[in-house]
Amino acid sequence: MSSKAKISRSVVAGFPSPAEQYQEPPLDLNELLVKRPAATFFVRVQGDSMIGEGIHDGDLLVVDRSLRPASGDVIIACVDGDFTVKTYRRDKDGVRLEPANPDFPVIQIKPGHQLDYFGKVTACIHRFVGK
Amino acid sequence: MIGLVDVNNCFVSCERVFNRSLVGRPVAVLSNNDGCCVARSNEFKALGIAMGTPYFQLKNREKSGELVFCSSNYELYGDMSRRLISILREEALDVEQYSIDEAFICPPIPADKVRGNREEGREEIAAWLLDYGKRLRAKILRWIGLPCGIGFAPTKTLAKIADHIAKKRPEGVFVLPDDPTDILASLPADEVWGVGRRLVVKLRAEQIFTAKDLRDAPDDVIRSVGGVVLLRTALELRGVPSNEDKDYDADPDSVSCSRSFGEPVTTLDGLAESLASFTAQAATKLRKHSLLAAGCNVYAQIFHSGGGGDFLGRTVMFPTPTDATNEMLKAIREEVDALFIPGTRYRKTGVVFFGLEKVGTARQLDLFSPVEKSEASPLYKAIDSLNKRYGKGKVFSAAEGLGERSWKMKRTKLSKRPTTRWDELMTVR
Repeated sequence: MSSKAKISRSVVAGFPSPAEQYQEPPLDLNELLVKRPAATFFVRVQGDSMIGEGIHDGDLLVVDRSLRPASGDVIIACVDGDFTVKTYRRDKDGVRLEPANPDFPVIQIKPGHQLDYFGKVTACIHRFVGK
Repeated sequence: MIGLVDVNNCFVSCERVFNRSLVGRPVAVLSNNDGCCVARSNEFKALGIAMGTPYFQLKNREKSGELVFCSSNYELYGDMSRRLISILREEALDVEQYSIDEAFICPPIPADKVRGNREEGREEIAAWLLDYGKRLRAKILRWIGLPCGIGFAPTKTLAKIADHIAKKRPEGVFVLPDDPTDILASLPADEVWGVGRRLVVKLRAEQIFTAKDLRDAPDDVIRSVGGVVLLRTALELRGVPSNEDKDYDADPDSVSCSRSFGEPVTTLDGLAESLASFTAQAATKLRKHSLLAAGCNVYAQIFHSGGGGDFLGRTVMFPTPTDATNEMLKAIREEVDALFIPGTRYRKTGVVFFGLEKVGTARQLDLFSPVEKSEASPLYKAIDSLNKRYGKGKVFSAAEGLGERSWKMKRTKLSKRPTTRWDELMTVR
């Protein structure tokens, strides 16, 4: 009788599940990929200009606007009214946006012009199913 | 001290974050059903085109490429507004959202600056506030791309005035001086927050022309002109905080309702019921001012024992601009689930309406928009009068809809909704 009472669902008393003290919230991709939700935006990639960095047509990019760009970062910027994803370079030759595909030209930011920076790419989500 | 943060030309600024071709051009955002201009860029204002100008009068200038128009993208503005509030929440001790693009904040003035009341100490606080405001402004601009003005003053009414000045300054921040008499003397009394045009004639009869006149008028005169509401405004102008009323009943520019719970709420039912009740209260206010709302932001703040806590929020669009509580509740109910995380304790919930228009006005501007559905209004007029007579909340909605709307709000120039729709993300090449 007593062993039956222990497994009854309606009885709350008894021994707690040994797993209880190890319970944790499930893994959350937002927590992993979005450090600052207020400053984070998602954008969709069109084309192959950054294929060498593993960024493919149709991929989803996680962009954090709160981060300042450093030379070598993959960033989103606006050039002539269009948003583009490129590698940001800043050195003695000035500021430029480099594609990761030899078929695309390097975009030189003219001296005296300010780069219209949108944000830094922190992750690329490439889906194999359900694009 | 109280700060007021206000996004410059908010709707246009939101559009420009994702459409850079709008930068530097005369842009206006149109009201519900593309009726008239409700937000204008500085370039648009410079052309002398007034707020509220009907769109059809400007169509030719759009065709010629001179002017650019956008439909109201409330999904985008609502999301950007939530982001703004969450940044403010990080940087201020307390935040009170006042409308979709404005919030009062309590700045975290360091304790060592507050001590003592020496002249020197006050200057130190003013310098600290200016620096804090500049840093906050820069952060908002970098994080979400929205330019804003920030004004600091001892009361909300004075903070509004400080913010007005802040917007005209290149640094975008202004701390009201200890003695603001000169500033008040150059401000018409009816431009003071909460005063309104309708009082102008009465105020003039009492020789009250400027904010300074209002501040310095005898209490009984003020009371005879505008009752206790105007007296509170005068007290605020004198630097005495008197507007603690969170619903801002006198001001139709903002329709919102929020409360902190006595005990943290932990159930979905509790969350849903509080939001339904605040929605009903705010809707009563809409009807009192003969306003319709296009949608609202609903939010819930998570309880932290140390105070503060993260905000969760959703933007809800009504099928059509409405003042009917049951239609709002139907739209909101679907979003409440998204705010609820089992096992979480909630400190506060609230609702802020946006896309406000006077009943009838926007429609008449556009002959071809569908006729406004009107049967809800007499019903709610009756409910409001019953509630007024027998006490708040005696008659209430069972949160049931009237059925599907046969038409939706017309938004022919709607930009993408890149922060709330996966299939409308901004694309990058």
